[in-house]
Amino acid sequence: MKHRTIDGAVRAAITLAAVVCVSSSMLAQRKPRVVAGCPSTPAAFHACAVEKAKAFTPARTPDGQPNLQGIYETPMGGALQGPNSIVVDPPGGVIPYQPWAKAQKAENVEHYIDPYTHCLPITAPRIMLSPRTRQIQQYAGYLTIINESGGHPFRVVYLDGRPHLSPDIKLWRGDSRGRWEGNTLVIETTNLSGLHWFGAGGDFFSDAMKITERLTPVDADTLDYTATIDDPKVSTRPWTVAFALERNMEKGYEWMEEGCFESDRDTADLLLTGFLMYPGPRFPK
Amino acid sequence: MRGSARHRIVGLSVAVFCLGSLALLQAGGQTNAARADGVRRTPDGKPDFTGIWQAMNSAAWNIQDHVAEKGVPAGRGIVEGNEIPYRPEALIKKQDNYKNRATADPETKCFMPGVPRIMYMPYPFQIAQGPKQISILFEYIHTVRNIFMEGEHYPGHIDMWMGDSRGRWDGDTLVVDISHFNDQTWFDRAGNFHSDALHVVERYTPAGPDHIRYEATIEDPQVFTRPWKMSMLLYRHKEENAQLLEYECFAFP
Repeated sequence: MKHRTIDGAVRAAITLAAVVCVSSSMLAQRKPRVVAGCPSTPAAFHACAVEKAKAFTPARTPDGQPNLQGIYETPMGGALQGPNSIVVDPPGGVIPYQPWAKAQKAENVEHYIDPYTHCLPITAPRIMLSPRTRQIQQYAGYLTIINESGGHPFRVVYLDGRPHLSPDIKLWRGDSRGRWEGNTLVIETTNLSGLHWFGAGGDFFSDAMKITERLTPVDADTLDYTATIDDPKVSTRPWTVAFALERNMEKGYEWMEEGCFESDRDTADLLLTGFLMYPGPRFPK
Repeated sequence: MRGSARHRIVGLSVAVFCLGSLALLQAGGQTNAARADGVRRTPDGKPDFTGIWQAMNSAAWNIQDHVAEKGVPAGRGIVEGNEIPYRPEALIKKQDNYKNRATADPETKCFMPGVPRIMYMPYPFQIAQGPKQISILFEYIHTVRNIFMEGEHYPGHIDMWMGDSRGRWDGDTLVVDISHFNDQTWFDRAGNFHSDALHVVERYTPAGPDHIRYEATIEDPQVFTRPWKMSMLLYRHKEENAQLLEYECFAFP
């Protein structure tokens, strides 16, 4: 009996096809599309979305929280460099690295395998930008954000005011606490392992990073997402990325399991070509 | 005089009883409120399994009765009757698996361990319960199970590590039907295995406020001569501020 499989070669083929299709459609789409009536370049979207959000009243959950529940996609892509950089502060879209860290980033690209290649769990903001969807579900005292791709890294965000974990506990996805500021969900994440990257381009962080995410409903189907990165070991000042999260409108959408590590065939090949596993930042003495 | 006092006492007792019952009935209708059995309920009256849970047994090493060995506690099995009805050729494979278990168990490769094995791994998991979707989030390699309460299994066959879970309520019992498995996982370190024809039916029944009676019926005609059943308790983590941490198995060199 022939079985359809979502693993291995088929998944690679699907991914390749998806990348080709998405890339070509992005090339064809010279005129930027509109998200929630706002321009779809990150900086322009964020400026427009902040104003729009002031006039929008979101639905509420039965216990009175703004209702952000749903399955969201990222319509803008997620470049950390270039004219459409998601870095909106500092203006100009460049991460304010300390000099040694700028050199480390270059070294990362040259020598090391992106830890995401072997499916190590990503954290914010990369987890909110990865291909396909993420689902937000709200419960009494906490919420969950479950990612579709990358082997389903999930986050449980506690809203009950409990303190962060001891600094001796380090996590790949970090330790997240949330609170509401008006209609904005603010998530603060600490306790990071500091052994991962922001993207495939070698941009990296340390275990001292604090991430402050803000999710603001702009209309019934769009969230304005920002993440401020405060990493005194790596950058000269805090910096902020912004992009849109847009509701998946497919009726009854359910994601299927992705066996990411179980299907990883790339790491072994990359090691053969001389690339190394990323050991984490080499801080100056 | 005495008679009327007795009547008054009886009358008062009846009134107290009725008010008490009314209060209980009202409590049952409130969010997360407990009935007399202490079981938390959702607004629509279903058992609310929200919380962090963990099995407290040694089934991850061996689902049958077993003696202790280095690094493995002795344990009473979770298989009803302690017998697994292997077909003759499958029993030979199980015995081979047992001999080679130190390296042949897929769990040693840090792969997702399948269902029901994930439910008795020695790591906590969190149930986040909604009316249409119940997500189970596992500390072990951040595995996720989504139990969809609406919709049906996908047609045909799809190989998945954790299968496709579809739930329904049978009174106070959450019944989950799981199919679309691959043949790459074992039930335990002792080499108990299945094929991709595996079909699992789980039953989650409240056994008080902090316990769940968990049962899994295993059906796989390619490997077993008849369906068989596992049964165990799940325990609620009651530590203050309990939360899942991480066991990223494949991150360790």
